[in-house]
Amino acid sequence: MTPATNAATAPAMTPAPVAPDAVSSTPTLRAALRRSGFWVAAGAGALLVAIIATAVAGGSASGGPPLAADNAAQAGARALVEVLRNQGVDVTLAGTLEEATAAAARSTDPTLFYFDADGYLTRDRVTRMAGLVSRTVVVDPDFGTLQALAPGVGFGGLAASASRAAGCDIPSAVKAGRLSPGGKTLTIAADASGLTGCFPTGRGAFALVARRDQGRTITLVADTAVFSNDTITRNGNAALALNLLGSSGDLIWYLPTLADVARTGPPSLGELTPGWVTPTLVLLVVVALAAMVWRGRRFGPLVAENLPVTVRASETVEGRARLYARSGARLRAVDALRVGALQRLAGKVGLSRLAGLDEVILAVAAATGRAPGDVRATLVDAVPAGDRDLIALSDQIQDLERATARATTSPPPGRMDL
Amino acid sequence: MTVTGRFVALVALGVVPIVALGRTPGTAALVLGLWLLVVLGAGTLDLALAGSPRTLSLVRSLPARVRLGETVMSDLYLTNTGTRRLRAIVRDGWQPSAGAGNNRTPVLIPPGERRLVSLRLAPSRRGERRVNQVTVRSNGPLGLWARQATLECPGRVRVLPPFNARKHLPSRITRLKELDGRTSLLVRGQGTEFDSLREYVRGDDVRSIDWRATARHSDVMVRTWRPERDRRVVILVDSGRTSAARIDDEPRLDTAFEASLLLAALASRAGDHVDFIAYDRRVRGSVQGAQGTELLSRMVDAMAVIEPELIEMDWSAVPGQIRAVTSQRALVVLVTSIDAAGASTALLSMLPQLTRRHTVVVASVADPTTLLASRRRGNREEVYRAAAAERAMLDVARVSAAIRQQGADVVTAAPADLPPALADRYIALKAAGLL
Repeated sequence: MTPATNAATAPAMTPAPVAPDAVSSTPTLRAALRRSGFWVAAGAGALLVAIIATAVAGGSASGGPPLAADNAAQAGARALVEVLRNQGVDVTLAGTLEEATAAAARSTDPTLFYFDADGYLTRDRVTRMAGLVSRTVVVDPDFGTLQALAPGVGFGGLAASASRAAGCDIPSAVKAGRLSPGGKTLTIAADASGLTGCFPTGRGAFALVARRDQGRTITLVADTAVFSNDTITRNGNAALALNLLGSSGDLIWYLPTLADVARTGPPSLGELTPGWVTPTLVLLVVVALAAMVWRGRRFGPLVAENLPVTVRASETVEGRARLYARSGARLRAVDALRVGALQRLAGKVGLSRLAGLDEVILAVAAATGRAPGDVRATLVDAVPAGDRDLIALSDQIQDLERATARATTSPPPGRMDL
Repeated sequence: MTVTGRFVALVALGVVPIVALGRTPGTAALVLGLWLLVVLGAGTLDLALAGSPRTLSLVRSLPARVRLGETVMSDLYLTNTGTRRLRAIVRDGWQPSAGAGNNRTPVLIPPGERRLVSLRLAPSRRGERRVNQVTVRSNGPLGLWARQATLECPGRVRVLPPFNARKHLPSRITRLKELDGRTSLLVRGQGTEFDSLREYVRGDDVRSIDWRATARHSDVMVRTWRPERDRRVVILVDSGRTSAARIDDEPRLDTAFEASLLLAALASRAGDHVDFIAYDRRVRGSVQGAQGTELLSRMVDAMAVIEPELIEMDWSAVPGQIRAVTSQRALVVLVTSIDAAGASTALLSMLPQLTRRHTVVVASVADPTTLLASRRRGNREEVYRAAAAERAMLDVARVSAAIRQQGADVVTAAPADLPPALADRYIALKAAGLL
């Protein structure tokens, strides 16, 4: 903005036909880019750094699906899977029971690793899973799984923190020696048959329970610590895991996913809507954005103007009236009314403004024919006890003024008073 | 850069191909993408073909002054110096009080040609109304996208006070003329001067017979008198804090200007010298040594840009200001406001310095609502308001009495009545030869 030109350069009435182009205060695209270039670059750089940092941090976070074969986080099982692969075991990953079934059909005498952290599989499907191969390792079974696979096995709570020896004749457990301390345990019912418990923790609880039945072996491992990346190196965990899973050349690593859950109920809203609905919604958003630009783009900068203050002159009178009313200053208010009335009355009865109070009262009483005592009470003596009295007194004063005005001004001859 | 409503409609039209061709989500998304590409391409093409709003040369043609209440044409000539035809909408960036109205003018300028954009300004406030910029929005040939630039093109117009009180001028001039040529019977005394000799007619005061002239002529001659001319009138307007207050939705300052203009017009017609000062703590505007029509035009010009300052009036410096204007005896008119006694102490303590040398009139705008409020006593609130109004009127009466005691004269009236009341007081003083 430049200040207005002074009077000397004011434009003439007849403008010249050719004049230089007007100076534009709107920056050109190039100038705007040059001015804001640093911030655009800085913003883009910050965004890039944030994306890279998120990607890098996401890989090493402790999250991720537990015991996933490709999860390098603490809860994952990538270490175990990699070691098995290096040892020549062909590890097949399966996300659904159908994939696991297909993998079992492809390979000869595989081992099935099964861990269902979220309880996706129903009891029927758990039974089907257990029937796929001859060796199944079930990690951290839930109640439904136990009911389906080994009804005689129950939950034994958390073990004490001492490390445990094998205490059974299963080769893998014997080779492992001792397990890392703590973790979940399983119990074996007294009347159950065909069940072998290993790594006892006292009170009939075991960290591993094996069930042999018609040539099939189902090994129930109570805790995930035996397989997970962060605890597999402790004590004999690694030996147990490798011996359990590496006994044959093929391993099916089956972690059930959402795809295992049978789909029920009516078709969803997304399946019912036609294909063009979503693109149309996107188009409407674009239309809304364009309309915002269309209506919202300002037609040049705002024009500033200094406006004068607005003060009503009657504010002081109003303020004083509110002060009187709030503090109930009745006597002060009526005094103001009386002094004003007295001055006007003095003028009406022909006395000077400086005439004494008694003179005015007597003159007014004489003019109106009222008793001087009454006039005095109205103009001087009466003290209003409440707002009702104040209003009455104010009316009396006005009435007295009117009466005096009537008495002192004779109506002009030949004209009716309206 | 901006888009038009037509572009928004074009984008919305994409619903038709998406619904018609998009059987599956995949094809619908493809159609959507293609449509967006098409409209973006059309917009870019349109923008590339639009004439540049920067290749415009602007020339403004404005009258320098306008009286408040009148309208004025603001002319803006736009010359297209570019090579493309310019379809544009032009907004002339006047301040809101300039009253430029809607202010969106479509123009179509072929290359090398010039077009005129005329705006009718109806200013709503006196003072200097400015314009600094012209915004041009240039549409492409398809009317989809537009280029926009704000160009600098300053201009200003001075809005003068309306001088509505001039309707009172003819009647006052008539009364002034009646003073001329009267015999000493009515107005002879100090402040009148010898006018001419004329023949005696019955009814003339025999004391005004000029015996020497009678001896020279064959007839009885009498002297006639007229009011003294070439007196000085100094009008000092208080532009301080209290002049911002609005009475009848008009600031006291504007009423003061109206009264000053009427008085100045009348006094200059009567042959007196009028000086004008607007003062609070420093001189905000002054007109000295002007005569006739030049006086009024210079006064309105000076008044146009004076706004009430929110500072207290410095009365102690006023005698010095008057002395700087004239060393002769003068009629000093102080246009201010008479409020409570406390607020008028400075005025009262300064007055003796002025009244010793000059005839002083203090003019003040009275609030007609105060008188009205003192008469309305229907309920509790109104009685209290009446009491407060009475108190205010008593204060004004007390201060007025004190001013009269100091030897000055007081004129108070409602905003519409103050200018004629002040003019009447001037005529009365003139008739009494008190100038």
